[in-house]
Amino acid sequence: MKIEVLFPEICNLFGELANIRYLESSLKESGEFYEITYTSLKDEPLFASEKPDLIYMGGMSEHSQSLVVDKLMPYRDRIIDLIKDDTNFLITSNALEIFGERIEFCDADYEDIKGLSIFPTVAKNQMYKRFNCLYLGKLGDMEIVGFKSQFGHSYLNGDKNYEDLFETIKGTGLNPEYKNEGIKVNGFLATYVVGPILVLNPDFTKALMKRMGVGEPKLAYEEAAYESYNQRLNEYKEENRGFYY
Amino acid sequence: MGKLKFLVAHWAAKASVVALKITKHNGTNFPGELAIKICPDFLKYIDKPETIIGVTGTNGKTTVCNLLIDMFTADGQVPLNNRAGSNINSGIATSLIHGANLFGKCKHNLGVLEIDERSALRVFPYVKPNYLIITNLFRDSMKRNANTEYIADILSKYIPKETKLVLNADDLISSNVAPENPRVYFGIDKMDSDIKECTNLINDIRICPVCHSKLEYEYLRYHHIGKAHCVSCDFKSPGYDYCAKNVNIDDMTMEIVDKDGLGNYRLISNGIHNIYNMVTVIALFRELGYKHGIIEKLMSQTSIVKSRYNAVPAGKVRVINQMAKENNALGSSRAFDFVSKEPNDKELILMMNCLGDEKHWSENTCWLYDCDFEFLNDEKIKKIIVTGPRYKDYILRLLIAGVDRAKIVDTAHEIDAPDLLDFTPGEDIYVFFGTDSLALGNKVLAKTIDLAKERGDK
Repeated sequence: MKIEVLFPEICNLFGELANIRYLESSLKESGEFYEITYTSLKDEPLFASEKPDLIYMGGMSEHSQSLVVDKLMPYRDRIIDLIKDDTNFLITSNALEIFGERIEFCDADYEDIKGLSIFPTVAKNQMYKRFNCLYLGKLGDMEIVGFKSQFGHSYLNGDKNYEDLFETIKGTGLNPEYKNEGIKVNGFLATYVVGPILVLNPDFTKALMKRMGVGEPKLAYEEAAYESYNQRLNEYKEENRGFYY
Repeated sequence: MGKLKFLVAHWAAKASVVALKITKHNGTNFPGELAIKICPDFLKYIDKPETIIGVTGTNGKTTVCNLLIDMFTADGQVPLNNRAGSNINSGIATSLIHGANLFGKCKHNLGVLEIDERSALRVFPYVKPNYLIITNLFRDSMKRNANTEYIADILSKYIPKETKLVLNADDLISSNVAPENPRVYFGIDKMDSDIKECTNLINDIRICPVCHSKLEYEYLRYHHIGKAHCVSCDFKSPGYDYCAKNVNIDDMTMEIVDKDGLGNYRLISNGIHNIYNMVTVIALFRELGYKHGIIEKLMSQTSIVKSRYNAVPAGKVRVINQMAKENNALGSSRAFDFVSKEPNDKELILMMNCLGDEKHWSENTCWLYDCDFEFLNDEKIKKIIVTGPRYKDYILRLLIAGVDRAKIVDTAHEIDAPDLLDFTPGEDIYVFFGTDSLALGNKVLAKTIDLAKERGDK
């Protein structure tokens, strides 16, 4: 089993690399053999020549978004082929914006960034108005908990060529005017929700491990993971619980 | 019109100061908030001290400010400061209101102002420090500060062009802020304990900002603090204008070398972060023309504020309060690293919960996964009591860090945590809490000390 982590030297904000550390511990717990490739900006991505069982990319600074787009642009067609071929991607935080048409900065002298244009979305950031909320959503029967902490939101700018990843129960979706959250095409899963999402959501992690080919997924510290998850889930379901900071 | 509005705002704020005193609500930002509400550019009009020393950065700014204020006071000066209030624009306005007469004229020649780095855009257009210390830049609250590049950009954009910067050469992020400004650099020369590769979870600058190649360290202290160069281009750490050499933790001594000579100093703390704070303060005093001998004398009269770190012998143990700001992975990582290296056996109470967030929302706990809980996986740490609203998250985080489940004890209620301690004779008991849980933390600390004394008497 091969996992590729893209650009960990810059895509490492908000504790998100713990997604991979936790996945690694859980694969060990499940008795799986695995290999993790950490691809830096100067490396040729593993996915250029192989089909990894999971490609992961996490949140980054706005300057880094520009570097990542420049790096991935030559591989745009390959990424589209991998998505069509049902490759598993987990893309979190503002890494989601890389795959859209454009990243705009409305109130700062940052230059707009042209995205990979795989999805018809435009990210609109307000650099002096950071957005924070709790998030409660659903993916099939699974309930998803987490946080959103970002400068902007993504807006559809054309014909939708993806499904929503999560049905939002509480919190904000892909943008304040659109209820649902994230982008899903086959095994490509992208969401603004952070946590780290795999640590906070044991059911979701098990489902992802199954998609990656683990027959009977077992989580590391499963009991503690479920206790933490259930406490948060119950809190988020409370009627009077504030969701917007 | 502007000046008239300013005077109305100033008088209203002054009146509020009196009202707050009568109602025993000292130390709030209300006067500054009121003044800015009435006159949005209040900071522009109010008179300021002739010399202003600003202190900003992620970690250490409060300690550096406290040291500066104490040393200036020991030198017979009366610096205006915002120690009692906050470090955002309304807190700074409140300090200036306190320090001004009824006509808004400042009564102080010198000001030492702690300035929140995110508030630069609201402060620096009006308050222009002669010297600005930037202690360091690390990632901080994700809800507010996002990432270090964002904060460095804000500082570079808003720091007044005439302000002389006093910068940490061992921090490749803050040392590159506002490149056009006049500047001096301080730092600590290679130490025996230094390493070459980062072992911390947080490393906020891993690639060269010029060519994006790997950075290589000649020596690395923690996180990204050290002396580095790019493997592909000329980018490297700046040289030291004020360099700490021969830092000896056993003897608690160090030397500071600069272009005019050498000074010998006694360390006021054995924590490396506090040695940085000392070097920072010495660099500033040297810039102001003080001789090493005078600085050493002034510094010897100071100490690290006890609310940040204080060890109290109680019964047969020592009880230590350790400031570890919630939502600040870096601060807690530094505290965990420091505590894990202390020689005695230990028990810990972890209660760095964001109680303010919990009242209305639920804490964003992402920071737990940027924080090096792995330091707590140490044989000398015998028991870790996790408590408060997020104790279940702490259990999971400690397990992921490799801590044995048998060492982790939990209780939802912070005040019950001391009852779960063993108080083994000779050990140290650390209570970790931040500013958000200060009052409750002090209660837990007091109860721990009482119980330690009781057990010690048996």
